[in-house]
Amino acid sequence: MKLKLDKKDFENFLQSLMNEYDLYAPVQLAEGVSLFKKIDQPGEVNLTQLHTQKPAKDLFFPQSETMFRYEKVGNQNQMTSMEEVKRERILFGARPCDIEAISILEKVFVSEEYTDVYFLEKRKKTTIIGLGCNHPLSTCFCSSAGGDPFLRAGSDLFFIDLGEVYFVELLTEKGMVFHKNKFFKEADPKDLTLVKELEDKAFEKVGFSIPVDGIEKRLDLMGESSFWDRIHEKCIGCRICTYLCPTCHCFDIVDEGEHQRGQRVRNWDSCLSPLYSLETSGHNPRPTGRERTRQRLMHKFNYFPKKFNQVACVGCGRCILYCPVHFDIRQAIIWTSPKRPKRFGRGAI
Amino acid sequence: MEERSKAIQDRIREKAKELLSKKAVDLIIGFGEWTLPLRTTPIFIRSPEGVDRLIWNSFCENNLATYLHKFSHFKVGIVVKGCDARSITALSLEKRFKPDQLFLMGVPCQRMVDRRRVEKAVKGEILCAHEQGDQIIVEGEDFKKILKRDDFLYPSCQVCTHRTPTQANVLVGDPIEETPLIETHPEVEEFDKKSPEERWKYFEKESSRCIRCYACREACPMCYCAECFVDSSNPNWIGKGPSPSDLEFYHIVRAYHQTGRCSGCGACERACPMEIRLTYLTQKLNWDVKELFNFETGIDAETPPPLSTYETEDRQEFIK
Amino acid sequence: MKNPYLPIPMVVKKASIETTDRMLRTLELSFLNEEDAKAFRFIPGQFCELSILGKGEAPFGIASSPTENGSLKFTINKAGRVTTALHHLEEGAEIGIRGPLGNGYPIDLFKGKNILVIGGGFAFTTLRSLIVYLSHPENRSRVKDITVIYGARMPGLLLYKEELTQWEKRSDLKLVVTVDWGDKDWKGKVGLVPNVLEEVAPSSENTYAVICGPPIMIKFTFPKLMALRFPNERIYTSLEKRMKCGIGKCGRCNIGYLYVCKDGPVFSYAQLEKLPKDY
Repeated sequence: MKLKLDKKDFENFLQSLMNEYDLYAPVQLAEGVSLFKKIDQPGEVNLTQLHTQKPAKDLFFPQSETMFRYEKVGNQNQMTSMEEVKRERILFGARPCDIEAISILEKVFVSEEYTDVYFLEKRKKTTIIGLGCNHPLSTCFCSSAGGDPFLRAGSDLFFIDLGEVYFVELLTEKGMVFHKNKFFKEADPKDLTLVKELEDKAFEKVGFSIPVDGIEKRLDLMGESSFWDRIHEKCIGCRICTYLCPTCHCFDIVDEGEHQRGQRVRNWDSCLSPLYSLETSGHNPRPTGRERTRQRLMHKFNYFPKKFNQVACVGCGRCILYCPVHFDIRQAIIWTSPKRPKRFGRGAI
Repeated sequence: MEERSKAIQDRIREKAKELLSKKAVDLIIGFGEWTLPLRTTPIFIRSPEGVDRLIWNSFCENNLATYLHKFSHFKVGIVVKGCDARSITALSLEKRFKPDQLFLMGVPCQRMVDRRRVEKAVKGEILCAHEQGDQIIVEGEDFKKILKRDDFLYPSCQVCTHRTPTQANVLVGDPIEETPLIETHPEVEEFDKKSPEERWKYFEKESSRCIRCYACREACPMCYCAECFVDSSNPNWIGKGPSPSDLEFYHIVRAYHQTGRCSGCGACERACPMEIRLTYLTQKLNWDVKELFNFETGIDAETPPPLSTYETEDRQEFIK
Repeated sequence: MKNPYLPIPMVVKKASIETTDRMLRTLELSFLNEEDAKAFRFIPGQFCELSILGKGEAPFGIASSPTENGSLKFTINKAGRVTTALHHLEEGAEIGIRGPLGNGYPIDLFKGKNILVIGGGFAFTTLRSLIVYLSHPENRSRVKDITVIYGARMPGLLLYKEELTQWEKRSDLKLVVTVDWGDKDWKGKVGLVPNVLEEVAPSSENTYAVICGPPIMIKFTFPKLMALRFPNERIYTSLEKRMKCGIGKCGRCNIGYLYVCKDGPVFSYAQLEKLPKDY
């Protein structure tokens, strides 16, 4: 269903959502720093950045999450599991890359044998309103990773900024619930033309220059390659890329509290941390950055595709933008390809 | 500016080639050009043929001394600015390196450009940037803007009075005047004027954005503990999640662990993806150490940091 | 929907120290709730995550066999925070369990074959489960010859001394126990496991080998198995790796595209050959 929303009605529209749902949208914490937060006022929504630092995965797989609380009552431990989501939620303003990443996480967390109830509950109770990327950044390479700046898949509603209005598409059953929203009007043919123009322009800008295609097979032959000796050196082993990556899903489980009462919590963890695979005996199967960087890239582009036929990277480019030493994953991907590396982007002289 | 940078660049390459050809070092750590404008990247050169990848400009903001811990079994040649050299002096005092293990190629620093402020000064993505004279010229898809370089320097660079790495084995640039652009770090000055409650509020607000990525810790050359206090589980000093008290604890303790050891290079703040202000804390502590102990990190290769030594003549009046 | 992260309550029925250095303690646990006991079905080689609320969770191979009804046995090596807490548990204390997890030994493949079990040190836990299971009257006829070679550094460090005594008496099971260094009371074999294997020289024909032990033992035993012409598809081992969730979600224990907790911990050498040496 193709509709539109006048920007003059935007805040009222958000308010109408907030009356029935918990609304999560990008909120700016400081100039140039934003993340997805539950908003109390429509005015808090800030869409000036293309993407937030912390990706939308935070809503379904939070950085820190209490799994259950326990309390010793008499001789027994009583445990209260914490997966319940009390109110239905809406995620507004996530970009197609972040939304595609949520489907990737779903493949990990929801499987036949074991289902991560915490993730599933949040996923079931969330309606996703995606937002198209009119101006992808030069660091975006979503098309090379199987997505595109206006990918609708995974969204229940999809918004595209046309200047004075938002173009709105209702895509799923969850989305269709909104077709009677009083702020929506029918889209005009000229709106549809403008949408097509924006899509073509963005698509052309992102292009297909990164050879993600076929990388699984190429990496099969590179397990012990000297490639890994070169590529890991400048990585300082901070966790920025893994934390800001929309598809990274490693976590740690710790108990907080004491014998009498407390909670079991899961927190994001990173395979780039030296402690990650350190065993109590002192043995570490991944003792240096070489093994850890290899693990990260192999997981994304070889191990995950072996199981799920899809790379665990959506081309959002956050790891490129925020890495303190400027590790560029695109360059790493290009170097696995027999084609000689092409210069892309222009550097400072 | 770019002529000066080019001259330094040529001398770095020349010296690196000489060191590698003579096998005086096993590798050279320096800066190279990479894929985004306004940024350089650390590079590791092992053969004389590779030295042409080394560059120098006002975007060489990383403190390369942090890599020295990884290469402790090698003889390393390293490109250092004033602050980086001071970190290395401080590390040598802590006996992190053997005497002839390092060869410092010192660059009298022209002060580094704060790339985030440059990015915020324009509307749209910067696709290309270069320096020209005392200007930075940035271009995007549909804009070109000329910015005055001096308006976009890191505050820690603006107050710096030790831009020349005097401890270096060789200086690859002409000497410069050590007058700071501004007398005091604006954020430290601001912070100093605040009441304790206001200081706490500011600190609380800044640290609330922290995502415990530890980029500040990894970027800092002085953070090299085999087991950081945050990773210890026995005793469990600090929770692992982002609860406000844990975030504040982490930042306060890390700042205090740097006291008397921090060279003020700003690598921590530059690394933070959430743009948390950190140098106001470290610079304030440096300022206090100077006042109380007349000590500045890394200036003198003999005097150890005041908080890691004990002399019987030390001040005792605060011990009640 | 069942929450796979929620531990099920169990109670410590019995606890005993296995070794003279007091580092290994066997806990016998029984379920608090009848329906949990009924629902728990496992095969040798599987493991469970034992929880001490407030301290944490850690994975342990199940040492008891499915044929030993009523309780589960785990042997704990005191090494870190959780294991130290497990060593201090008293009888009657409550403990949490998640499991059974992992793939277990390929019992179906063992049908009609000879089985060679090689164990070293305290890696013997799941091998105990396997041997008790296979040597149970209901199961004994399923496999042909059973040969067990078990070595420890010193006599005092041998696990399951009671079971060893019983197995020695059996005629349908060949047991060779060896130690690296004997003591004045030790009357048995003295020799490293790889050398004892060479001596015993079991036939590889129609035989599956299951080997569990410290990396150094495996390193030297494996070439001996090769020399005896055991093909990689018929050598199985149980790997250890740092784990957290135990169900293939947290990403920690992967070796290549397989998770040790979910696709393992039992792997054949044929499988391991194709995976990176990430363990």
